[in-house]
Amino acid sequence: MAPASESRGPVRQAQGGPILATEALVKRFPGVVALKGVSFDLRPGEIHAICGENGAGKSTLIKTLSGIHPAGSYEGTILVDGKPAAFTGPKDAEKLGIAVIYQELALVPEMTAAENIFLGSEPRRFGGLLIDWERVYVEARELLDRFGLGINPMANVRRLGIGHRQLVEIAKALSKKTRVLILDEPTAALTEQEVKILLEIIRDLRRRGISLIYISHKLDEVFAIADRITVLRDGSTVQTLDAAATDKHQVICAMVGREISDLFPRRAGAVGEARLSVRNVSVSDDDGENVLSDISFEARAGEVLGIGGLMGAGRSELLMHIFGAFGRRTAGQVLLNGQPLGPGNTPVQSIRRGLALVSEDRKRFGLVLEQSIGFNLSLSSLGQLTRTGLIDSMREARRNRELFDSLRVRAPGLSTPVGTLSGGNQQKIVIGKALMTLPKVIFLDEPTRGIDVGAKVEVYELINQLTASGYAVVLVSSELPELMGMSDRILMLSEGRVGGLFTRQEATQEKLLAAAMHPAGEAADLVPSQGVFP
Amino acid sequence: MTQTISQPALAAPQPRLASRRGGLSLRELAMPLALVLICAYFEFRSTKFLGSRNLSFLAIEVSITGVLALGMFLIILPGYIDLSAGSGVGLIGGIAAVLVFQHGWSAPLALLTAAAVSVTIWALMGTIIVKERVPAFIITLGGMAAFRGIHDLVIDDSTIPVTRGSEQNLYSILTTYYLRPAIDLPLVGLVIAAMALASYLRYRRERQAGEGVDGELAFMHTFIAAQLILLFVLICNGYRGVPLSAVVLGATVLVVYILTRHTPYGRYLYAIGGNEEAAIVSGIPVHKVAIATFALMGVIVAITAFLQTAYGGYSTPDLGNTMELDAIAACVIGGTSLKGGRGTVAGVLVGALIMAALLNGMTLLAVAFEIKLIARGIVLVLAVWADVKLGKK
Repeated sequence: MAPASESRGPVRQAQGGPILATEALVKRFPGVVALKGVSFDLRPGEIHAICGENGAGKSTLIKTLSGIHPAGSYEGTILVDGKPAAFTGPKDAEKLGIAVIYQELALVPEMTAAENIFLGSEPRRFGGLLIDWERVYVEARELLDRFGLGINPMANVRRLGIGHRQLVEIAKALSKKTRVLILDEPTAALTEQEVKILLEIIRDLRRRGISLIYISHKLDEVFAIADRITVLRDGSTVQTLDAAATDKHQVICAMVGREISDLFPRRAGAVGEARLSVRNVSVSDDDGENVLSDISFEARAGEVLGIGGLMGAGRSELLMHIFGAFGRRTAGQVLLNGQPLGPGNTPVQSIRRGLALVSEDRKRFGLVLEQSIGFNLSLSSLGQLTRTGLIDSMREARRNRELFDSLRVRAPGLSTPVGTLSGGNQQKIVIGKALMTLPKVIFLDEPTRGIDVGAKVEVYELINQLTASGYAVVLVSSELPELMGMSDRILMLSEGRVGGLFTRQEATQEKLLAAAMHPAGEAADLVPSQGVFP
Repeated sequence: MTQTISQPALAAPQPRLASRRGGLSLRELAMPLALVLICAYFEFRSTKFLGSRNLSFLAIEVSITGVLALGMFLIILPGYIDLSAGSGVGLIGGIAAVLVFQHGWSAPLALLTAAAVSVTIWALMGTIIVKERVPAFIITLGGMAAFRGIHDLVIDDSTIPVTRGSEQNLYSILTTYYLRPAIDLPLVGLVIAAMALASYLRYRRERQAGEGVDGELAFMHTFIAAQLILLFVLICNGYRGVPLSAVVLGATVLVVYILTRHTPYGRYLYAIGGNEEAAIVSGIPVHKVAIATFALMGVIVAITAFLQTAYGGYSTPDLGNTMELDAIAACVIGGTSLKGGRGTVAGVLVGALIMAALLNGMTLLAVAFEIKLIARGIVLVLAVWADVKLGKK
């Protein structure tokens, strides 16, 4: 197809033939068939999106393509440049130019960004004896500068937020001679702005002839960049579609196997009195640096207050601070049900006062992964479940079972270890744990991150139920459609300050972004155009 | 429209895993099997090993190792470590002996005072660990050296008996008193009845909670445990009866079991060891729990100190040396993860049995002190290695 007639080298293949393909791939695990005959092909220089719900087989497919599941552990064929390939491990795949960026980041927190980028492939000098640190930092800076976010190559990764860490990981993959780049949910933790930058980088890679496999739950992104879309369901290929000839609706239907009529089923109800009042709060972090300045807002019974902002705007920090797990308050007041909360409150006190937090990072702050569902559900509420110092296990089991059923957790039983559950089910456990404390105000920090469409809608339905029964819900999200779709009012933060407060009716994507870019006052007359992104 | 969502989601494949109750894992079987092999070997080499007399002594030794190992278990569960336990055993036993022998205190008062000192020291170490963020490894390593030094000062590098003259006191009878059959048989009946009742109640509760429970397996567990206890008592009765120290161990087992399985405190230990950050955000008073755990370790160290010192009859400069090694090894052998968050009381007991049986058997075979030390070191390393290997499966 492409007029690339100057085919150098001995490789004889059809013009535009797939660079990477699978034929009837079957992968079995004990008791589960994860892939039931997946056929898929990646053309040179295309962006090929793979969509599917959690458990559809996306991760298994990637692991097979990248050699983590070695040849012999699966049936079917993997073809690289049209020739069968048998990887014994990830190194083999890397040699053929196949690199993967996984959802779970693999960085060394105590090393700098640059050290991480070149970890294991450091440029050498003096005949390979010493590491050429100058080149490490110069080249790392070049790679990181593409993101336009001023990430310092000398910064310790530990000090970077989850979003910036992901960008370092991406820079690391870019530093290698890669022909096929597989991205597994690369934007799960990024803000809208960073996503746009990343998508631009991905397009740039395609221009340079790199072929990409792009896995994401976010269909907007998929349609923004993909040339073709393959939908997996239950380990089988449902369809491969030309992105130009299909739409979101069709892809979603293929993913879940039926119609989803409403992605954001927000049902607003009666709004009651203020449950949480935050008045002119300023917060500094452990190093004494100011992270939040003069924040004020209210969350009322029966409403969803959305909080948005770019990465580093201080959304999670705000929630964590009010909850008592972050920073020191330098000014202002927080009232919970009319009574002052903090400064200096601990999570123990916050929970007792009726505040619950569902953290953005459920594996780090939410769950004890090797323990059971029941253990995790009741962990925050054991105080209510004790009689004469001992846990009343009958009552505990009953309460756990109620939540397990009402949240529709899909698992064999309460004794199933949480670590074996899918992302969506893990999220339900974290939310269930928060609900069991019988809160009045519940903080949901990115509650739908990394979970599939079906589970997302279940979380939204749950939010509706919570507000209908009088909870005040504070929802932090970096996805603007979710924020606008589920919030009754939206507070935008910008660099630790309030950027604006909008009702559901007046919120538009443009207004919210403008508020996210500039703190209130400065922003008023700035009309965002294409030039918003650096 | 909401219902249309849940249906396909329900049909989504869910992670299945083999039922954990479906039988014993290799790991759970391996250690009891190792114990049987060790006992068989020593019995083969020296026909005295399984005799009533030696088993009675072994019972006392297991009690001492076991009590300390259970304390270590509480420390390791939330991810800490205590390297000072052995030196602490020497020091606390020495303080009590000096109070009795040199100052003429009554034994109960001396024991209580020494125990109070122990709790204070350990609570202080716990406080420094959580408030000042000095790693437990370092502060207890310091304690290991310092307590040894203080112990030598307290006993003035000499040998201090636990009684004055030849009379018995509460201190000395800890390892010399035996329960006669008229007492120990009704007691063991009571214990077995209580175990059976607890097991039944648990079975019924889990059934009601709708969990898939294997009633036969639960019955077998209880039945085997009851048989073993009965066998132990009958063998001991062939010598002088059940040693008092075994009752102390039994009480410690009961307390630690209830703490770890049935109280919020125990849950918190597992949660902190499993994921400390999640524990903090879940509203667990991590600092209080850690300090309380070290204070409890103070109690355990005191009990172990009294048993160990009474067993020899004197406080000597090297008493308690490297006992933390046996305690840590017992935990690891029993499946306790050194990273925290995993382990059971039953496992620790099996681990303590293995360590005590090894030591006792080697002593019986007149193995040199140096060789015994080398063997214990190797067993500790092997246990951790096996844990890493088996833990991957």
